[in-house]
Amino acid sequence: SYYTHRVIEDPEWSLATVPHLTELCLQHIVHNFEKNPILDCLLPEHQRKVLDRLSTGLPLAVTANLISDEDYWKRCCTDRWQVCDISNYGDSWKRMFFERHLENILKCFIPNTTDPNQVLELIPLCKDYVWKLEVDQFLPPVKVDQKEERDDVSDTGSDFGLGEISVHHYDLGVLITALPHLEELHLTYGVKDCGMNFEWNLFNFTHQDCCNLAVAVKMCHNLKVFKLTRSKVDDDKSRLLVRNLLDHPCLVELNLSHNLIRDKGARAVGKLISRSRLETLDLCNNQIHHLGAQALARALAENSTLTSLNLRLNCVEDEGGEAIGRALLTNTTLKSIHLGSNNLSEPTATLFSQVLAQNTTLTSINFSCNHLGLDGGKQLLDGLADNKALTEFDLRLAEVGQEIEYLIHQIVWANREAARLGSLQHPPTKPL
Amino acid sequence: REALGEDAEPKVAEEEEEQRRSHKQIEESRQRLAKLLFDGTQLVTNIQVAADLRETQRRAEEAELKLQRVEKLENEAKSSTYKFEEITSKWALAKEMTIPQELWQLLNQQQQQCALLLEEKNKLIDDLQQELKNKDEQYVQAIKKQSDDIHLLLERMEEQIRIMLKTYRHKLLQIEKAFELERRELLDNNRKKWEEAIQAHSARELEYLHARMRKVEEFEKQLNQLRVEDEEEYNSMKIQLENDVQNLERQLQQMKAAYQLNQEKLEYNLQVLKKQDEENTIIRSQQKRKLNRLHSLLNNLRTKLAKQEKQFREENQSLAADCERITGQCKEVQRRIRHFAVSDAEKFTEVWLMNEEEAKGLMRKALDADRIIHTQQLGLPWEEPCHWFLNNVGPLGHYKVKRMATKLAAEVLTVGSGEGGKGNTAKVEDRVTPLRNISKKTAKRILELVSDESGFLIESKLLRPLRALGRHERTLMKLDSIFAALEIDSEDDLYQLVDFFLKYKAQEVAVSQLPKFAKGRGCGPLPGASWLLGRRRWWKAQCPACWPSLQSSPSGEDVRDPAEAREDGGSSAQRDELKPPRSLPASLPSVYMHADDVLRILKAFVRDFDKLREKDGSAKEILQVRDSSKDGEYWEALAHVIPEPTLKLWDALAVALEEYYEVLTRRASLLAEAAILQQQNSELCLLLEEYVSSGVNSNLPSPPTLWMDPNLSCPGEAQ
Repeated sequence: SYYTHRVIEDPEWSLATVPHLTELCLQHIVHNFEKNPILDCLLPEHQRKVLDRLSTGLPLAVTANLISDEDYWKRCCTDRWQVCDISNYGDSWKRMFFERHLENILKCFIPNTTDPNQVLELIPLCKDYVWKLEVDQFLPPVKVDQKEERDDVSDTGSDFGLGEISVHHYDLGVLITALPHLEELHLTYGVKDCGMNFEWNLFNFTHQDCCNLAVAVKMCHNLKVFKLTRSKVDDDKSRLLVRNLLDHPCLVELNLSHNLIRDKGARAVGKLISRSRLETLDLCNNQIHHLGAQALARALAENSTLTSLNLRLNCVEDEGGEAIGRALLTNTTLKSIHLGSNNLSEPTATLFSQVLAQNTTLTSINFSCNHLGLDGGKQLLDGLADNKALTEFDLRLAEVGQEIEYLIHQIVWANREAARLGSLQHPPTKPL
Repeated sequence: REALGEDAEPKVAEEEEEQRRSHKQIEESRQRLAKLLFDGTQLVTNIQVAADLRETQRRAEEAELKLQRVEKLENEAKSSTYKFEEITSKWALAKEMTIPQELWQLLNQQQQQCALLLEEKNKLIDDLQQELKNKDEQYVQAIKKQSDDIHLLLERMEEQIRIMLKTYRHKLLQIEKAFELERRELLDNNRKKWEEAIQAHSARELEYLHARMRKVEEFEKQLNQLRVEDEEEYNSMKIQLENDVQNLERQLQQMKAAYQLNQEKLEYNLQVLKKQDEENTIIRSQQKRKLNRLHSLLNNLRTKLAKQEKQFREENQSLAADCERITGQCKEVQRRIRHFAVSDAEKFTEVWLMNEEEAKGLMRKALDADRIIHTQQLGLPWEEPCHWFLNNVGPLGHYKVKRMATKLAAEVLTVGSGEGGKGNTAKVEDRVTPLRNISKKTAKRILELVSDESGFLIESKLLRPLRALGRHERTLMKLDSIFAALEIDSEDDLYQLVDFFLKYKAQEVAVSQLPKFAKGRGCGPLPGASWLLGRRRWWKAQCPACWPSLQSSPSGEDVRDPAEAREDGGSSAQRDELKPPRSLPASLPSVYMHADDVLRILKAFVRDFDKLREKDGSAKEILQVRDSSKDGEYWEALAHVIPEPTLKLWDALAVALEEYYEVLTRRASLLAEAAILQQQNSELCLLLEEYVSSGVNSNLPSPPTLWMDPNLSCPGEAQ
């Protein structure tokens, strides 16, 4: 009677404007999703409608394990971040959302202040969706102001000047070991955007931190890529890390660039090369001298699996360069080597001309910013004459002269063309 | 960018394979893009490299500065410690000071030196702080520189991206254009082809249509023509048929009339026939009765016939039994006849021999008498007459008993084995060679082959003891048993066997060399088989006549008289006739029997052998009838062994001798008589004397002595 009454009252009313009952039900479900999540028992088309209307602000405890729809997670991601490059996250919006969510929490985690449960609660929700952790900021615990001021004066002694307890960062051990799929771990112990509040102790990777991290990494058996950059990792810490990484079943890539590793650390890394399945090793911008380079070269000569080695911005010098060159005479796995800015000169070039004549696996060499000299360039050119494998050879600012650089560039270019044609003829191999 | 580049490459690869014409464009674009990419990357990374270089330079400078600073600090520390020590040493000196002015002075000095030291330290600190400030400034500058670099980097990257995008788009456009062009060309080509094809098709279609129209018209014309023709034909046919109808109606009328006539006639006939029928029924009944009677008669006759047949069958059976019995009897008789013939012959021979012996004895006696007459009575020299029949023993024309086949075989074999060894071989050869003109070697070879190859014919238990014997004997024994198995028991059979072998072989040779052979014989081309057949026929014809001579000739050769040789001339002529064909097998080039052929030949021989046997049998039958024509002559000759003149001489001599004998006998009787008489005389004398002398006599009234004639002699003596 109510309807009839309305019909009589409102001549413009029509039944068409009344939504269907299913519509209403779905709407209700959407409104009360947080309290009563109903999704799986709906028909696919209704599921679709519900998912399209769900709010992105719903608590993760409700949505994490219930919703697998990519569109919903896409909405979540785009609502939260402007830049979303899904290709870095295995083309999965859900994974991206959880990884970045976890990263954000870790970045903002302040030890002794933030509740650790904040992270622990998240673990059951996100453990199935996190493959990679990329944390470029670890905040130090909050300290007393006077202490800060006092430490401000002495830069060098900050390590010892501070109270041991207060400077440790968040211990990743609990989190990492609880993530079964974790394959990549990118860490930077430092503070971003500190501006004028800069203090040295903000960037302090303590021994305890290192211990915690090493133990955690050791427990993480699926880890393939481990990057620890710009974290003041010195010889002791690197040795500690390496000791825990020895015989790791999966580790393929290790990046310790922009640290303070010296020869001892390099020796430890060399040991790691021969006792693991490392394929990529990045030690750029450290303080490795010829002793460390020789240790690495020994490991190279014996090993193995390493395909890429980056020693940019170290102090290898001719002795180390020659050792590496000699190792490359016998090595058959290394494809790419970067020896840029290593204060190399003619003797290394002489040796590498031999390497170029003999080695057939090396495809990329970088000698930029060294002092090879004209003669060194000529020798390299001679060695390259019969080489068909090398496709990249960087000699910029290596003082070899424009003419030689041009000729070498021609050869390398021809090699690259040949390799491209070869890969065309053999489709199974990956094209350039 | 790199991802783009990577994407572009496989696409390029695919297109390259698909279309060759756009390949160039793509390749060019790819190269240019690669170069551009490389240059752009170089441009961007140049900044990093430059920064790296700066950093290394900075580090080098830093290291140097650090070294200087450390040295400076060390120097300073050294000098300051030195100074400090100086000051501290002075403190000890000050303790010893007693004079205040000096002490003050010293203290002042110390103060000054301390101040100096502090000043130096402060100066150092100032320097370092200055350096620090400189470093700060440198740091700020470096940061600024780096931010500039970053900006530049960003700018270049953006520029690069822009350029790359632009060029990629451009190149894509170009490639697409190239493809479009190609496609359009292809389309044009195809369309042109299509249109041409369509045009050709429509032209042909049109042609077909025209042709069809033409055909339709033609057919219509033909149809009309046919219609007209048919109509005309129809009309003419109609007229003709109408005429026919009229004629037929007319005929019908006529026929009706005839029908009427016929009906009347037939009715009359019917009546007649009915009458006849009645008569016929009567006749039929009569006939039926007759038929029944005859049937019974026939049955009787049949039973009689059966009886008769039965009877005849029985008779026949009995007759057949009789016949069988008679044939058996006949055979028996024949056998007996044969037996009697043989016994007769034997008896004949015996009788002959007996008679001959008797005759010979008589003859001998006669001759002896003749000889005695000649030598003793006539005093003439006597010559022994020499006649052919004198030495003849046994019935005339009697042939030597045939040698047994095995014996002959043995001979033949010994010929081969004992060649030149024994003296009698020559004789044997003499006997063997002329027989069949078969070279003994061939014969021997054949026999040996037969003995070797027909081992299956020999009884197995015979084989074992054979092994113990020598080769020659073994062959003989084997042959013996083989002949027994083949029923070869006479010489002739063996000859036939050997002959057959040769013929068979010759036939084979002839088959192979027929033309040559035919020319050589000159009697017309005879194929091997027909030749053999012909030969056999010829053989059959010649057989009865030539067999005796053939058989007698070998055996009688050494005992033959020249006279008989003359008589035998006819048969020898026959033999001459025989010779050419007979010598044929021997004259053939030495035929080599192959061991494998032996069995085949033997089989053929056994097949033919029975026929030959039959012939032989008939020949033997005929052989039994002896030629008795010469017997009389023989006996006559035997009787007339003493010639006529001699007889006459004998007659005369007999007469003379008779007379002489008579004389002699008379004389003898006379002599005897005389003797007797003398004796009687003497006896009588004696008796007389006795009597005379005896008392009796004296007693007797008249004594005999009184009447006695003492001169009486015997009558024999008187003759």
